[in-house]
Amino acid sequence: MLRYIIRRLLMTVPTALLVAIAVFVLLRLVPGDPAQLMLGDTATEETLAELRRQLGLDQPIPLQFLYWLGNVLRGDLGRSITNDLPVLPLIVDRFRVSATIVVAAVVLASIIAVPAGMLAAWRQNSPGDLVIVAGATLMLSIPSFWLGLLMLLLFGVKLGWLPVVGYVSFAEDPGRALAYIVLPIATLTLIEIGVVTRMARAATIEVLRLEYITHARAKGVPEGRVLWRHALPNAFAPTWTVIGLILGNLLGGIAVVETVFTLPGLGRLLVDGIFARDYPVVQGCLLFTAIMYVLVNLLVDLLYPVFDPRVTAE
Amino acid sequence: MRRAALASLALLLGAAMPAVAQSPATLRAAINADIRTNDPGVNRDGNTDAVMMHVLEGLVGLTEDGDVGPLLAERVAVSEDGRSYTFTLREGIRFHNGAELTSADVAWTWRRFLDPATKWRCQSEFGGKGLTRIEAVETPDPRTVVFRIEKPTALFLSVMARPDCGGSGILHRDSVGPDGKWKGPIATGPFRFGEWKRGEFVELERFAGYRPLPGARDGYIGGKRAEVERVRFVVVPDPSAMKAALLSGSLDVVTDVAVDDIAELKRRGDIAIDLAPTMGVNAILMQTRDPVLQDVRVRRAVAHAIDAAELTTAITQGTARPNPSIVPVPSSYHGAAHDRRIAADPALARKLLAEAGYRGQPVKILANKRYGSMYDAAVLAQAMLQQVGMAAEIEVLEWATQLDRYLKGDYQMMSFSYSARLDPALNYEMMSGPKATQPRKIWDNPDALKLLDEAMVVADRKRRGAIFDRLHEMFLADVPMLVLYNGVDIAASGKRVKGYKGWAAGQPRFWGVTLQ
Amino acid sequence: MRRRFRLRANALIGGTLIGVLALVGVTASLWTPFDPLRINLRARLRPPSDLYWLGTDEFGRDVVSRLMAGAGTSALVALLTVMSAVVLGVFIGVVAGFVRGWLDRALMAVNDTLLAFPGILLALGLMAVMGPNKWGIILALGLAYAPSVVRVVRATVLSVREREYIEASRVIGNSEIYTMMRHVLPNCTAPIVVLATSMFGWVVLAESALSFLGLGVPPPAPTWGNMLAAARPYLDQAPWLSIAPGLCIALTMLGINLLGDALRDRLDPRMAAA
Repeated sequence: MLRYIIRRLLMTVPTALLVAIAVFVLLRLVPGDPAQLMLGDTATEETLAELRRQLGLDQPIPLQFLYWLGNVLRGDLGRSITNDLPVLPLIVDRFRVSATIVVAAVVLASIIAVPAGMLAAWRQNSPGDLVIVAGATLMLSIPSFWLGLLMLLLFGVKLGWLPVVGYVSFAEDPGRALAYIVLPIATLTLIEIGVVTRMARAATIEVLRLEYITHARAKGVPEGRVLWRHALPNAFAPTWTVIGLILGNLLGGIAVVETVFTLPGLGRLLVDGIFARDYPVVQGCLLFTAIMYVLVNLLVDLLYPVFDPRVTAE
Repeated sequence: MRRAALASLALLLGAAMPAVAQSPATLRAAINADIRTNDPGVNRDGNTDAVMMHVLEGLVGLTEDGDVGPLLAERVAVSEDGRSYTFTLREGIRFHNGAELTSADVAWTWRRFLDPATKWRCQSEFGGKGLTRIEAVETPDPRTVVFRIEKPTALFLSVMARPDCGGSGILHRDSVGPDGKWKGPIATGPFRFGEWKRGEFVELERFAGYRPLPGARDGYIGGKRAEVERVRFVVVPDPSAMKAALLSGSLDVVTDVAVDDIAELKRRGDIAIDLAPTMGVNAILMQTRDPVLQDVRVRRAVAHAIDAAELTTAITQGTARPNPSIVPVPSSYHGAAHDRRIAADPALARKLLAEAGYRGQPVKILANKRYGSMYDAAVLAQAMLQQVGMAAEIEVLEWATQLDRYLKGDYQMMSFSYSARLDPALNYEMMSGPKATQPRKIWDNPDALKLLDEAMVVADRKRRGAIFDRLHEMFLADVPMLVLYNGVDIAASGKRVKGYKGWAAGQPRFWGVTLQ
Repeated sequence: MRRRFRLRANALIGGTLIGVLALVGVTASLWTPFDPLRINLRARLRPPSDLYWLGTDEFGRDVVSRLMAGAGTSALVALLTVMSAVVLGVFIGVVAGFVRGWLDRALMAVNDTLLAFPGILLALGLMAVMGPNKWGIILALGLAYAPSVVRVVRATVLSVREREYIEASRVIGNSEIYTMMRHVLPNCTAPIVVLATSMFGWVVLAESALSFLGLGVPPPAPTWGNMLAAARPYLDQAPWLSIAPGLCIALTMLGINLLGDALRDRLDPRMAAA
């Protein structure tokens, strides 16, 4: 088991390295440079050259890469070009915001969607199933930022129930923190409910067709017990994989929701970094996201046997 | 924990909740990105300047119409040869830590500014590469500072007052640690730098020991009475969210309101709108080295084709007036001569195009979506050029890419806007120069450059005015760009706020503003 | 009985929605009521009326005409993206699954890297290099989605390559390529069709999300995504500007999802009984 985990962790190394190289090359191919953006239209040749020198951008690119990589290996992701802050604490700080929202949304979505999907599967082709599937498909079809904007308009502006901008961390004031993140969480939850419901339904349908369920039913085991004891554990396993995938994808794609609700999250940091050509921040964010993605999937795989006794992690 | 549970219950039940605690003493304003540092003029952008100019004060500062007036200095005397400036400091000025301001602090601050290791952005202006070179900063007595400069310049004080130089704000030496590392600004402004939560907000606190200059609010110098205990600049990157926050009362003042929102905000009745013309210049640039646009007749045709008045009205909803001159409308040098323009005349445009032998070669206008007004100008210009038979296209770039193309001179046409320059000479300087060595320059006319050099040195207002008038005439003859209008700063404030007023520099001021 | 009814209903509704989209997308330029790019400053932000069925935008352009033109662009971008992802993914997937060995491992390492790489940066980088146009976004999203195709194809190839009829094809002297084309690939069709269908929806969403962040198909050419992005400042003042394209995206997604369900039920043998 331990060897499996170590092997999986070691496998992240080439992935991370490839991501690092790809990001580095891609960023340097993109026109526009951070020195120009910082100086804007008041830049002169001298001030530009001076700033580039200060930022180390006058070095040959391969050298810049090796220098950066060397620092990364020592655990130093460098400092942000735009605000001179160390990148790693910045990322961790922002990640906390994104993770709070993503995890909350995925948990809430699962709590609602898994039972709903099972219910639909259990009463397959009933009107109830029809309603659940239609609802899930509908939610799947709505763009998250559109939903977010409409919710913002309704609850923030028209009704005035919730604050529209800002963020308060839970450590500071849990009550107010909740007021700030309830809308983003609700938006993400609604969107993810669609995906998870459909997956849970499909998985359950498959399980319900298996022989041992038929056996159990034939033996006269009550329907509730069949579902709870026999179907749920097995149907949850594939759903769990999907939830893991969503978790990984959301971390990469949360920028949109963070933009709508002006949350200081990781996605926003990345997008702002891209626009400002803040190389260390963008490189750091992507490296971090890639590693997180791998780790989340590893965690999902490790937990898989917990839900599906037929499978062992190895 | 119980409180959190209760709060969440209230939310789940959909119970009404006060949006954000409204403190009577904290004014909440919006900035669309976090400030970069609080080290004056080192690593900065517009937002950084907006915040820091509440904290910093230099020897001189900007007046309401963009001229320069004394601030920490009581008066400034310039020697006959224009090579020495003697500043007499005001009495009883205190730093945020209580220490009294003396000439030694000025000398210390300037030594730090002029040290290349500080990375002060205006170091090159005063270090010999740009404007002039400061040879010595002398302190004959605690209230007198003498600057000796290498070559005379008309712009010495203007550049000193530039907000992007941090207003050359005078700092107490405890602003840096014993190792020379920056700690935080201990300055003399009406607000002191408070809590800064990166990516979320910057808070300024009223400085009780501040003694404002008497009189009404005047630019960055006069009537700086801080009436609120705290000003919190909240980072809100998204304009729609900014507007929504203003409407819901989570923000008190929003300083860059979109033109399209004015009507709606006014209709509500509880939002006050303030309009202030600024020194920023919006223009359509033309590459005079482009095969199509190198013909002055084609460029003139473009100018005749684009109805700047209609375009300005459409983009600014009538809040700005068109200005054909690079000298901004609020400037004291903007006389009648600068209202001369190339008239909108589509028929003449067609005729000029025919004369120039234009045969439908495509002309690309570069624009971006980051700054909506640049994009709008490009869209309207395209439509107007198509009307006279030019094959105008729009290419929307990301801002960083467009800026890169601007600096390289790599474009045919470009919708662009310049940040505020404080002196007409600087306005001309930003766009004229030899393209061979400085590809970003728009206007390459040796005669104009000679005149401009003169305006950089001459101190006499009348002579300078005559030079600028002549330059505008030459500018219209060459049409290297089409100046459209000067931006208007639109600020909206909620019903708690009284007394907010924008001004020519296009930066917010939260002194003289009260909360109810 | 109900199941068949639902299948039919899914296929019918989904097919109709996508059919209308395709029809409008292809023929839009012929019958838009107004020129979708034509500005009219005297008719800015008009609410829906007899003349402008869905109102006008901030430049006085007719929203219906822009939606129609946008349907073409959005559909084209989605279609080409899916096609490039599928072509690329099938090629790499088949090679990886069939050749195996170190090449397979290398390809899968790159593949997993791409999976862990946010599409936003890929899109920005490629668009900046290729110039800001729809080809940049097609290439970027195509690259971003190809890895999922690779996974599916490789898995299918691995599962069928040891079957007897493949072996038989080899034994009777057919070339590897022939075997691959004739016997292996057809097995991949069903999962690919199912995947491609949902991918079409993802691309429509991704394009609009990228536009929303300012990284999508650049205006003034209308796509639903950039129309939505441009409409945001007017959410309160001119809600029709955001509701119309948002609804178009949602309806397209709905059509795709329904159609995808119907296709899955028909094509995916594992789900056939569901």
